[in-house]
Amino acid sequence: MSENMIEISELTRYYGLRKVLDRISLSVKRGEVMGFLGPNGAGKTTTMRILVGLLAPTEGSIHIAGMDALEKPEAARARIGFLPESPPIYDDMTVREYLSYLATLRGVTADRRKEALDRAMTHCGLTDMADRLLGHLSKGYRQRAGIAQAIVHSPDVVILDEPTAGLDPLQIREIRSLIRTLGGEHSVLLSTHILPEVQMTCDRVTLIHQGRIVVEDTLAGLEQRGQQRTRLAVRWNNTPGEKEILGIPGVAAATYTEGVWFITPGEQVDPVPELVRRSVANSWDLRELTPDAHSLEDIFVQLTKAEPDAASTTEVTP
Amino acid sequence: MKAIWTIAIREWRAMFLSPLAWTLLAVLFAICAYMFGSLVQQYLLRQLQYQAYGQAAMGGGMPVSEWTVVPLLGNTAVLLLLIVPLMSMRLIADEKRRGTWPALATSPLAPMQIILGKYLGLLLFLGATILLIAVLPASLFLYGQPDPGQFFSGLIGLFLLAATFGAIGVGASSATDNPVVAAVITFGALLLLWIAGWLGDSGAEGIGRLLGYASLIDHYEKFLQGVVSTADLAYFVIVSIAGLAFARQRLLAQRVEGF
Repeated sequence: MSENMIEISELTRYYGLRKVLDRISLSVKRGEVMGFLGPNGAGKTTTMRILVGLLAPTEGSIHIAGMDALEKPEAARARIGFLPESPPIYDDMTVREYLSYLATLRGVTADRRKEALDRAMTHCGLTDMADRLLGHLSKGYRQRAGIAQAIVHSPDVVILDEPTAGLDPLQIREIRSLIRTLGGEHSVLLSTHILPEVQMTCDRVTLIHQGRIVVEDTLAGLEQRGQQRTRLAVRWNNTPGEKEILGIPGVAAATYTEGVWFITPGEQVDPVPELVRRSVANSWDLRELTPDAHSLEDIFVQLTKAEPDAASTTEVTP
Repeated sequence: MKAIWTIAIREWRAMFLSPLAWTLLAVLFAICAYMFGSLVQQYLLRQLQYQAYGQAAMGGGMPVSEWTVVPLLGNTAVLLLLIVPLMSMRLIADEKRRGTWPALATSPLAPMQIILGKYLGLLLFLGATILLIAVLPASLFLYGQPDPGQFFSGLIGLFLLAATFGAIGVGASSATDNPVVAAVITFGALLLLWIAGWLGDSGAEGIGRLLGYASLIDHYEKFLQGVVSTADLAYFVIVSIAGLAFARQRLLAQRVEGF
């Protein structure tokens, strides 16, 4: 079951003379939730709009469920559900009317429509709101209606553009767990600039920055990648001198601020075992030893900074 | 085809869910009713004069259609020139402005299917509007003998004219994401087409005659006279297709231009 449901290769897009996407390649397997991560204006929305056929790429190819989306756009779109940044809902329709309308347009036949509507509404927790006007619903429910329309025709691929933007913390939690349940049945591509969201919902992550893919990895792999060069925050009761700290094998650099030494490990040797050993032997009284950069946040910052060649030539728009 | 109908019905319902459609219908009907009432009043007055002074003084007979139905439908066309842009402006531009366009555009539909659905919805509304107005001259059949041929050809002409207005409106609505701008473009284009014949009337050759043929009003007047000709039919159909084809071209181009 490892076939790719979304397959983007060498996608390039210009706005006028400005290159917003630079040879982007990306793939999402069947049933997988892929996080599409990047700062605002990195090209996430542009990529997604190309993927669903709202924009034409300048170069490159897209395959949805094995179909060439540029050659057969209608057939490919039948396999896609899309939630744009703001939910595309009609205020003058009820939830049921809305979902029924879009299900019909997306080829759900009359005999299967009721079942499809019930399934989508149950899945998104909208059953109690079925006959309420969308214009009267709260933002959280409007967002759910937006997700419901993206899955009402049982597409293979679901594309969500910042689905939790502008929601309150409780709603965010609900939407995230909803997204989590979409995996398995659908292949999901989810864009966000919020890192905990990726940690909670995604199997794999693709990081985009200034129109280029910076890294593509599993969550665990990404965390590992970050930790290799993570600084250590160390606190002793009897703080040793700088010379002694730099003398520990594997310590590349060390800085001291407010009672804490921040130690940057070297490329090859892990300084931790020797650091602990010496602390005991010399009675430095080790109090604290923690990786300073332990969150995805830092990995994100590290990886987006580590592309000096791209930054000079490409300007990025949302 | 099913998708086109689905969009058309949705569009038609949405129009009647908005106060705009009801307001326009009420205003249109009030004005038409007033015009019709005064036309009938004038006709009755002329008929008295006709009886008093005889046929010679009045220059021919007094056919009731010529005095009531024709001027009413002629003036209604001017009102539609003002009203159709207001009904067509929302069709595509408003979806873009409200951000609902992606829901339609990412459905497995060709651009022309969306355009035709929207257009058909507008035609349903315009058809209902014309039926409503037709009640006024139809009431004459209760009291007199208006020419039924002229009556029906006038109504067909009015519907074709409205449909052509609508197609141009759909074209304008697809070119912008601001409904008011769409309405202004539609109104401007319609007015230009309306008066295109002026140069033709001045007797100019070549381009002037061509412009004369492009004039909306000349073709409509044929229908009012009771003449349904292929040339006039073709004119309305061609202009309508051009409007819808322009809409399609805009939608496809926007995918490349990107907005």
